[in-house]
Amino acid sequence: MTTTELVKIASAGKAFPLGGGKEYIALKGIDLSIKRGEFVALIGHSGCGKSTLLNMIAGLDLATEGVVELEGLTITKPGPDRIVVFQNYSILPWLTVRDNVALAVDEVLTEKTPQERKELVEHYINVVGLTKEIGKYPGEISGGMRQRVAIARALAVQPKLLLLDEPFGVLDALTRGNLQEQLVKICEDNQISALMVTHEVDEAVLMSDRIVMLTNGPASKVGRILEVDIPRPRKRLEAVKHPSYYQLRSEVIYFLNQQKQVKRMRAKKVQVVTGHGLEKTNLELGFVPLTACAPMIIAKEKGFFAKHGLDQTSLVRESSWRGVVDGLTGGYIDAAAMPSGMPLWISLGGAGAQSIPIISSLTLSRNGNAITLNKKFQDQGVKTLEDFRDMIRQSPEKPHRMGVVHPSSMHNLLLRYWLASAGIDPDLELTLKQIPPAQMVVDLKGGTIDGFCVGDPWNLRAEIEGIGFTIARDIDIWKGHPGKVLGCRADWAAAYPNTFIALTKAMLESCHYCSDPANAQEIRTILAQKDYLGTSMEFIHLGGPNDVVPGVESIAHHVFSGEGVNRPSRTEHLWHMVEMARWGDVPFPRNWVEVLEKTCAVGVFSTAARELGMTEISYARNSIQLVDGSTFSAEDPIRYLNDLKIKRDITMAEIPLT
Amino acid sequence: MASSISKAPGLKIGNFNLSWKGIQENVLPPVIAIAIFLGLWEALSASGITLLPGPSSLFTDARTFEMVKYPFYDRGGIDKGMFWQTWASLQRVAISYTAAAIVGISLGIAIGTTPLLSKALDPLFLFLRTVPPLAWVPISLAALNKNEPAALFVIFITSVWPILINTAVGVKQIPQDYINVAKVIQVSNKTYFLKILLPSTLPYIFTGLRVAISLAWLAIIAAEIVMSGIVGIGFFIWEAYQNNYISEVILALVWIGAVGLLLDSLMGWVQNKMTKG
Repeated sequence: MTTTELVKIASAGKAFPLGGGKEYIALKGIDLSIKRGEFVALIGHSGCGKSTLLNMIAGLDLATEGVVELEGLTITKPGPDRIVVFQNYSILPWLTVRDNVALAVDEVLTEKTPQERKELVEHYINVVGLTKEIGKYPGEISGGMRQRVAIARALAVQPKLLLLDEPFGVLDALTRGNLQEQLVKICEDNQISALMVTHEVDEAVLMSDRIVMLTNGPASKVGRILEVDIPRPRKRLEAVKHPSYYQLRSEVIYFLNQQKQVKRMRAKKVQVVTGHGLEKTNLELGFVPLTACAPMIIAKEKGFFAKHGLDQTSLVRESSWRGVVDGLTGGYIDAAAMPSGMPLWISLGGAGAQSIPIISSLTLSRNGNAITLNKKFQDQGVKTLEDFRDMIRQSPEKPHRMGVVHPSSMHNLLLRYWLASAGIDPDLELTLKQIPPAQMVVDLKGGTIDGFCVGDPWNLRAEIEGIGFTIARDIDIWKGHPGKVLGCRADWAAAYPNTFIALTKAMLESCHYCSDPANAQEIRTILAQKDYLGTSMEFIHLGGPNDVVPGVESIAHHVFSGEGVNRPSRTEHLWHMVEMARWGDVPFPRNWVEVLEKTCAVGVFSTAARELGMTEISYARNSIQLVDGSTFSAEDPIRYLNDLKIKRDITMAEIPLT
Repeated sequence: MASSISKAPGLKIGNFNLSWKGIQENVLPPVIAIAIFLGLWEALSASGITLLPGPSSLFTDARTFEMVKYPFYDRGGIDKGMFWQTWASLQRVAISYTAAAIVGISLGIAIGTTPLLSKALDPLFLFLRTVPPLAWVPISLAALNKNEPAALFVIFITSVWPILINTAVGVKQIPQDYINVAKVIQVSNKTYFLKILLPSTLPYIFTGLRVAISLAWLAIIAAEIVMSGIVGIGFFIWEAYQNNYISEVILALVWIGAVGLLLDSLMGWVQNKMTKG
């Protein structure tokens, strides 16, 4: 165990005295270990204490609490076993390149003979490619070369750990790129363990084995750790083509943006504004730019929120569903348009260790999704699911990847169901990657995924741009499946019951408005705006008898309103629960009846519908017809799960409903 | 609005243009300024407003002209030519300045590296360095009893402060990066001193040395004027004044100015040489 662990940091913290008995807590509760031969990147916003953490390991700054150990020994002072490469070179301008490196080597490696030391110095100067400049003074070489001297000096003393403090921060982009690649190679060739502080996302993804992200200060801690699974040796041009590259990159950027938002939210004092007999009228509602989120956007633009007293409602656009999840669980947004499986997914603990009950009072849209494959498969003769299966099985050497937007989204569940219906195991024979909707077409074009299942406008766009083709429409798999639902926290709904009903009413009325073909043109115009989908109207279609796009086989047929469309259905939510448990995303709750009862706020829906005079729409079906000809009913979900052939290990648990 | 003088169209002819322009821009202004200054001075003395003889007296006054012509004469005692007078003063400066440099640099490094020492001595030094050279003369005479060592002491005490303070500042200003490098590599004290502290502080030390040389030259005149019966340019001025040979005072002034300028340029040159690499 101790043989692979080089650095161990446990519950470490750092506080700086401010005078007057006060102190600033820069870092708190840091847990991190660095393995031998591992390259770790440390990323975070300015002032989050990344450099402080690095200095703690370097011994230039000592932790005020917790443990910081190198090979089991507490770090109390700097030493040549942990060499730091500083941002501004810090090579001595009065010494030549050779003497700068020699200074370190002569001081540290005293047990070697002068001849050995000389050879070491020359070797490492050669490693960084400065043999020609060996006799020059730092003032006579470029900034990039100077930093290479600093790297050579660090490497030449053969430290156990290389500490890099924004080593490329002051270099121009071109030099930086070259140097990054060189350092990657040097570290790979020499099996160097390193910790690099950086604020550049690409640098972190390209260079490291793990990316450690720090939250904003004060009291920064490790927010997330990402494993970079891009194989080594890495070259920039190859690395950026790896399917994980953009995903990792967007994960890090997402984290950094989230930190920024948290900071803003902390600064902004949220006050509850009451009025019109409602407990809260200033709502922040989350959505992701998709055609299926139209009811929420239209409710805002056409004044349905204001009509029902929610006159200070604003919409928060998130680029991925993770943003919606974090916004809801963190309490930054009041409610959101979300994938139909998300309320249960969060309630059952999918978003993290603790489960936060989410309830849904409305189904906003049905259908509107499709499974798109890369155009090249069509050219190879792949026309049906069976063709696709055979193609996968004939080329096992090629990794087959498909994109989904979120584990809880209907796209993921439908895609998996569809694949499994043909006997394809979606996890063993394929890799399903989680990719933000807007990223799908780019990845498909780049060839990093074979296909995806996502909501419009993205299928249509892939088809119109000639990158992909639709192999299956959602209505072939499950006609009338729920797409997006309105969800909010159970405790929020309990705190603002009248607001919740008003919100449901506004959205229900908006759904009704969206379903009228006469409004389609207006809705498309609104959705195309920069604040919402920000895409050309040509890609936005609501679907309907008159909505035909020439040359495109199928366009999604969104259903926003109608018989049994909007009422939250226990059977449907149960299907989600079963399917998510099937793929191991969440445990199946033993108290599933109770969980369903709580999740489906049917009472709120009924009240809203009654008050709007829409009682005729509150009819609900009881069984679901699916692509494989089977019928799903709410009778015995556990037996259903047990009877499935393709599934993961299913866990069951009692989910507390608080 | 400001029109440049070199823009006159008729002057741009071939290569001549460049050299003429150079003269015009760099040599001409000071020459004209000096000429105006000397002319005004001459006019003032000729008009009788002041009893001070004009600059032409260096050549018109027979006794002074002798001294202009023969700077190397030596009639024994203190009756020596201008060169020997200046030389004697320079020797004193050399001794005291060297002492000041040694004491100033070593004490400066000690203070720069030891915060406690810095705290203890800073107020004392700030106080002492504001004392003007002349004020030191009676004190040093009282303390040392003899002219020669007293003069040396005055030069020393005047020129030591800029060296000391600049060195101390230089040591304190060593970039944190270099100190961090030293800490990380854990260099020995000797290497730290020779390879990091000294080269890093050198520009500051030389700034101090350059300021100090001017001050030392300033102080020698002050010291010698007050001390009777020694060979030296300072006492020479005093003697000439006592005998009302004012044009000789003017001659001495020219020598002092020239030597001061020379010393400063010399130090500037050394500074450049030493701190360039």
